[in-house]
Amino acid sequence: MLLHRSVAERALQDEVLFHVECETAERIRQGMPPEAARRAALLDFGGVERFKEEVREVRGIRPIEDFARDLRYAVRVLRRSPVFTAATVLTFALGIGAATAIVSVVYGVVLRPLPYLNPNELTVLWERDVPHGHDQNVVSVENFEAWRDRSRSFLGMAALVPARVTLAGGAEPERVPGAEVSPGYFRLLGVAPALGREFTREEEAAGGAPVVMLSDGFWRRRFGGDPGILGRSLPISGRPHTIVGIMPARFEPPRFGWLGEQDLWFPFAPTADKRAWGRFLLVVGRLQPGMGLEQARAEMVAIARQRAREDTANKGWSISLVGLAEQITGDVRTTLFVILGAVGLLLLMAVTNVATLTLAFVRRRRHEMAVRRAIGATDRRLFRQLLTQSALLGAAGTALGLLAAVPGVRLLVSFIPPEVPRTASIRVDAVVLLVSASAAILATLIFGTAAADRGSSDDGTSAVISEGSQERVSPRRSGYALVATEIAIGVVLAVLAGLMVRSFESLRAVNLGFLAEEVVVARVALSGDRSATPESQRAFFDALAERVRAIPGVRAAGLVSIRPFGGAGPATTVGDARRPTTRDGESIVADIRYADRSYFRTLGIPTIAGSLFDERERPDGPPRVVVNETLARALWPGENAIGHTAAIKLFNGITPEVIGVVGDVHLMDARTLPRATAYLAASRFPSEVFDLAVQVDRDPESFVPSLRSAVATLDPGLPLYQVTSLRKLVDQSLARDRFTTLLLGGFAGIALLLAGVGVYGVFAGDVARRRKEIGIRLALGARRSSVLLLILRQALARAAVGVFLGVVVALLVARAMASLLFGIGAADPLTFVSVAAALLTIALAATLIPAIQAARVPPIETVRNG
Amino acid sequence: MAKEKKSDLLQGTLDLLILNTLATSHPLHGWAISKRIQQMSREVLTVNQGSLYPALYRLEDHGWIAGEEGLSPEGRRIKLYQLTAAGRNQLASEVEAWRIFSGAVDHVLLGALS
Repeated sequence: MLLHRSVAERALQDEVLFHVECETAERIRQGMPPEAARRAALLDFGGVERFKEEVREVRGIRPIEDFARDLRYAVRVLRRSPVFTAATVLTFALGIGAATAIVSVVYGVVLRPLPYLNPNELTVLWERDVPHGHDQNVVSVENFEAWRDRSRSFLGMAALVPARVTLAGGAEPERVPGAEVSPGYFRLLGVAPALGREFTREEEAAGGAPVVMLSDGFWRRRFGGDPGILGRSLPISGRPHTIVGIMPARFEPPRFGWLGEQDLWFPFAPTADKRAWGRFLLVVGRLQPGMGLEQARAEMVAIARQRAREDTANKGWSISLVGLAEQITGDVRTTLFVILGAVGLLLLMAVTNVATLTLAFVRRRRHEMAVRRAIGATDRRLFRQLLTQSALLGAAGTALGLLAAVPGVRLLVSFIPPEVPRTASIRVDAVVLLVSASAAILATLIFGTAAADRGSSDDGTSAVISEGSQERVSPRRSGYALVATEIAIGVVLAVLAGLMVRSFESLRAVNLGFLAEEVVVARVALSGDRSATPESQRAFFDALAERVRAIPGVRAAGLVSIRPFGGAGPATTVGDARRPTTRDGESIVADIRYADRSYFRTLGIPTIAGSLFDERERPDGPPRVVVNETLARALWPGENAIGHTAAIKLFNGITPEVIGVVGDVHLMDARTLPRATAYLAASRFPSEVFDLAVQVDRDPESFVPSLRSAVATLDPGLPLYQVTSLRKLVDQSLARDRFTTLLLGGFAGIALLLAGVGVYGVFAGDVARRRKEIGIRLALGARRSSVLLLILRQALARAAVGVFLGVVVALLVARAMASLLFGIGAADPLTFVSVAAALLTIALAATLIPAIQAARVPPIETVRNG
Repeated sequence: MAKEKKSDLLQGTLDLLILNTLATSHPLHGWAISKRIQQMSREVLTVNQGSLYPALYRLEDHGWIAGEEGLSPEGRRIKLYQLTAAGRNQLASEVEAWRIFSGAVDHVLLGALS
């Protein structure tokens, strides 16, 4: 090709030279002096370069050579304009980098297929509390068994329940998270153990020999990856368990509901005890191949109806089905898609800015373009040259952006909220790169074409004669369209961020019902002799609380089964013992917490009526209950609850007397309203695990060592875990809102900056181009202030169009994030008004410098010098 | 500076003139072709050089004329063009088309005069 090209090129050269020689000779014959003759011949021939171009075009011998030449030319031009090049590449890199990082997160968390066999068939089944609108309630043993045995739509179902155990025998006793799972659970997921076997049906039978399976991580950490560990025994919660299997390293146990990390698995045995527990199971099923979710739902709802007829406890309960992938990513989905949308807008903004910059750059080179056109370059050549230049900028920006995305993703993952699932599968991989690269190419084409089109189609002739004297309307108009676009995108991003900020503020302002400051919480679990009997458990925790209260600096210390913001706990049906059901024929589901008297004082939970637990609460005494205001109001509206007898479906049914009413407490998070709660006495219902809550007169963090040593003097082998301050727990519960707020806030900040720079760029260019017009206005007597106002008014008008468009789009977009908002609507007027005002201010501020420059134009010189 | 845009009519006409010139002559080089057209049109038609060579290459690509290497009187390597058989056919149809076209224009003009 190149050889062919050079031969053809030489022949062309020969022909041209010969032609010019003949022409020169002819003119000499006609009597012209040789020098003049040659010049005339050349002139007559016209643009030699252009001629060559046209011939080449006819011959079709150009693309690769032209591209190489355009590239060299672009590098030369860009090197001469380092500021423009840096600004463009950085802006583009910012957009691509941010987009790539966010796409990695969204893909890894939401879109990447789950690492199980045919993950689309896996479904989570919940009980549905119809009267109270709880769609996802845990499942009772009986219902799980009925579903599993009766359904035809499912290949199989498995139940799970989180189980945290104390592991003795190592250097230190260790609390290890795990789960009890139905035998067949791993087969159901389609993941086989790397070593050993899964549980058998026999091991499901209550009272079988205790067995355990290990996660790969735990196996390596605790046993150094020794394969001989199979069949050996592990002392767990005081009983030796035989190790039967080890899961592969790539196995990610599904996490949803109250199922957290898992390192150990035990067979779930439906003992009589557990049957009496009420609802506490998580259920996963695998649909028959080809079975639709809707079809399965119809069958399951029918089964739930049968169950409601069979057992009054199921009255008002139905069933709900959710795909496992949707269940795992669940409510994170909306957050991530809002962030994804925001980063898309940011990228669009960056592209718009790059287009503005390039357009201004091309305009500044109009003279050069005109000259090149005059000596014979065609519009197409110029277009391609400018496009090559933009492609070079785009490629550099993309490379930089992708490079920055890798540490960016790591940074993002490090402050991603802990409850976001599957963070381990977040990475910049081939799929992400493909998406980003496509976005980058599309973006480059958009800004590149816009700029190249402007640059190559100017009227060359007039530009040569008088640079900048004849401005056509369209380039200016397109500049203004860019201004409006940037302002509009800025409005949308700022509105999203503004809504999140306002929502976050209202979340933080929620009265949680307890004092989070200066309270340390820690979990204590007993094992061995101490946990043997209720009496020994009670004695130990009494002694522990006594010991802690004696530590200097401790104001109060109490016990509770599960700390506020400590995750879901047991909940069950509560009614009035003298009225079997409430008037509507429905029962009330209340959270159950076990606490001692000092717990309420430690957390500053007010006693509204009656009294708290006292010395009478013993394992053999009559049970008594303290209820919160919501429960009191629900069961005995308008009455004094004290003295009534409650009926709680727990321990085969208890009927405690109500002795006190306390203030409502947010047990789960700040977002949902406090639920009905019944407190039973910790000393009446002892347990082997309690949360210790301690109010101190200093920084909670600095108190932790004294707490540890107090516990160690009681028993050096006792694990103290999940030690943290209540304030930290509350903060963690807001982590996702904080994450979203920060991220959207960051995007909005960048967007506002880009909008400001973009508006400045367009108007600065505009004023520079209109110097002559402004000079004439001033020479004809226009006042400088009126010129200033003219420019500002124009800017304001364009910005107003952008603000209007932005508000319209934001109203639509914000609706998608309504479920993320707390305490404000998606059309929050305060947010919209302040964002609109902010954008108009930014537009005005950005135009101020060009406007002042315009007002300072020296009238006469400008007119004279053109 | 006038715009040097060629219309389709002019381009088509130039092709016709080149083919016709070569039909009644021994092989000619580019400059000679342009001079010959100029002379035969009694200096009315001057061929724009910028159009001539693209036209020559285009005709050559169509296979209507063939270029061959030759030597100028000064011994410089030049390219001489001559008509091919396909070019002769093309010339016939272009002449026919031109007759129809110019006749039609004449009719219009005469009609307008009367």
